[in-house]
Formats: sequence, structure tokens, C-alpha cells
Amino acid sequence: MKDWAFGLTMTVLGMGVTFITLYLLTLLIRLLIKLFPRKEDEESEG
Amino acid sequence: MDVLISALSSLVQGFASLTWQSAIMVFLGCLLLYLGIARKFEPLLLVPIGFGIILGNLPLAGLSAYDEGGIINLLYTRGILTELFPCLLFLGLGAMIDFGPMLGNPRVLIFGAAGQFGIFLTLLLALQLGFVRQEAVSIAIIGACDGPTAIYVTTKYARELLPAVSIAAYSYMSLVPIIQPPIMRALTTKKERAILMEPGEKKVSQRVKILFPLVTGIVTILIAPMGAPLMGMLMLGNFMRESGVLERLVNVSESTLTNIVTLFLGLCIGASMLGGNFLRWQTILVFILGLVAIALDTVTGVLLGKLMRVITKGKINPLIGAAGTSAFPMSARVVQKEGQKANPRSFLLFHAVGANAGGQIGSVMAAAVMLAIMSGMGIKPLP
Repeated sequence: MKDWAFGLTMTVLGMGVTFITLYLLTLLIRLLIKLFPRKEDEESEG
Repeated sequence: MDVLISALSSLVQGFASLTWQSAIMVFLGCLLLYLGIARKFEPLLLVPIGFGIILGNLPLAGLSAYDEGGIINLLYTRGILTELFPCLLFLGLGAMIDFGPMLGNPRVLIFGAAGQFGIFLTLLLALQLGFVRQEAVSIAIIGACDGPTAIYVTTKYARELLPAVSIAAYSYMSLVPIIQPPIMRALTTKKERAILMEPGEKKVSQRVKILFPLVTGIVTILIAPMGAPLMGMLMLGNFMRESGVLERLVNVSESTLTNIVTLFLGLCIGASMLGGNFLRWQTILVFILGLVAIALDTVTGVLLGKLMRVITKGKINPLIGAAGTSAFPMSARVVQKEGQKANPRSFLLFHAVGANAGGQIGSVMAAAVMLAIMSGMGIKPLP
């Protein structure tokens, strides 16, 4: 594999996987927030 | 008489063995000490690094990182080459970071990915400049804006570049307040910078805060196991912090442990900067490419911010994108300052800290993916 092909593969795969993973994490956070909403006693504690 | 001459010659042997490269490095070490102490420029790092440079470059002292049997060599081989120090720093970092602002506004996490784009563009540049693949990857990772990650990757693939890469990574991290603002202003209009974002912190439950590091650790390590040591320690530190029952361990991790490791790490990095391997053109190129990487991170972050502004119909201030790097919390502070310059009523800090925390995860993820791809291509790490 030539250097430019190596660099391009790294860029496309690297950025792609990083974006997808972080997007997946945003979905998981939203799911966690839905499953475990903030309770009233936590609200009053601040 | 012969004995006297022999004794005297052994006393001047050190001076006689001093090369011009060693002398320049000793001067450089003194300069770093001056910057750290007199100018208070990152003293926690510059003082041990500066002193390490002096100790490592004094001839016959046996204190360079490469002098087998020396105490600094012991720290270098056990702490840097085994990747122990970067991982311990991540444990402390995890214990320090509050992911709350990011959990309260999860969409800012995506800026943490855009803030890593500079890594990959710099990789392409480094390859074009003739660096071999392992070196190019190590230089590009300076764009992660994250010292421990840069050291972790460079130790695996291009140890000869470790001094230059680590110095560049730590220097540029602290220069973020100088590097980022001109780029942010050049890419945005005053109207865009003045956009007010919804104020206030949306709090999440403690259960979410506890589960987040656990879930993130599992998911990211399953996707890119090569980054497991860094991600695992980062998430362990944060899990301990949020669990609320390990106060003593959290205190030690975020202060004592981090301080000790920073001292040893700085000393080792300094003592690995020998005149022969540091004073060359390649070092200057590493510094230039590192600067380019961080500038490109800022460019892509702000551009994604502009795109998000359009998608959300003006609800997102594009400056937030610049906080997607992992220079935590410097980038967030820069965003807050620039936002307030454009609109004194603007308060972007909460959102920027969220993006900045996302950048921390993004940088480890980008490094882990790079390592995984390298491994998949059959490029093995150094033994």
C-alpha cells in the first residue's frame, strides 16, 4: 500500500469510527437519562 | 607525580567530555527552568523537564534516559516504555473531570470528534514530508492536544521522536489561548460569535453520572481495544469520582499520584532529550506539524459548529466547536472569553466544557482507532 493510500485509509476510517463512536455515546447518554431520570430529592439537593 | 596527574585528569574528564550539543542542551534546560520559575509558564512540567535535560546531558553522569542502570533509566524503562505513566495520568484526569456538563447536553459530544480531524490531516502532511508511517502517526497525534496520549502512541511506534513529540504536545496545550482565538475569529462573523446559547446547567441524575464511565469504557474498548489502557484508566478515575464512596482514592489520584507521575514523566522526557537526537531538522518539522495539527483541529471544530448553527437554526454558537480538542479546560475558557468579547451577555462556558470533555474522549478514541488500524495493517508496535 502506498503512503497516500495509507494516509487516506487512516483518515477515512479514523474519523469515521471516532464520529460514529461518539454519536453512539450520545445515544447511550440519552437512553441513560431516560432510564434514570433525575429524582425530586436530587432536584432539591441542587 | 603520575598519580597526581591521573587524579587531576579524572576531575576534568567531565569538562573534557562536554560536546557542543550537550552544552546547547544544558542551556536549553536552563532556559526551560527560567520560563517555568520566572515566567510561571507551566512550571509543573517545565521545571522537571528542564532539570531532566540538564542531568541527562551532563557527560559521564549516567543520568540520561538511555544510560542503563541509572535511576532515570529505571523510571524511563519502567514508567514510559511500559506506558505506565501516561495511563496513571489518565486515572488522575478521570478523577478530575466532571462529565456533568456534557451529560446535560449530549449533542456537544460530537464536537469531540471534529476536534480530532487535525490529527488525520497532519498525518497526510507528515507522510508527504517523507516521515515513515510510524513517525507520521506519532507526529499527527500531537493534534490530540493531549500529552499522555501523544506519549502513549509515540512510545509504541517512534521512540526516537518521543522528546520532540511530548515537548510539542505539552507546549501547544498550554499555548491554546494563543493559537485558537485568531482562527476562531477568522472563521466566524461577529454575529455568529455573539449568538446566545440557552443558559443554565441541565443536571442529570447521579445514577447516570455513575453509569456513564462504565458504559463508555465498555463500548469504546469493545470498538477499539488498542486504546483500552488509556480509556480504561480515564473511565476508572471518573467512575471512582462519581461513585461517591472512594473519596480518599479520588483525592490521591487527582493530586498526589498525578503530581508524582508528572514529576517522573517530566524528568524522563527531559533526560531523553540528548543533543544528538534532539538537535536536528526533524525536531523543527515535528514542532511545525504539531502546530498545524492543533490549528486544523480548531478549524474543523469551528466549521462543524457553523454547520450545527445552520442545522439548529441559530441555536448553537459555532465557537463551541473550538472546544472539541482535549486541551481541558483551556479550550473551554478560550471559547467563553471569545464569546463574551463578541457579546458581554454570552455565557458559553457550560456548553464549551461539555464539548471539551467530549474532546478528551474523542482524542483517546482517535488514538485507539489509529492503533487498531495500524495493527490491522500489520504494523507492529515496538517491543
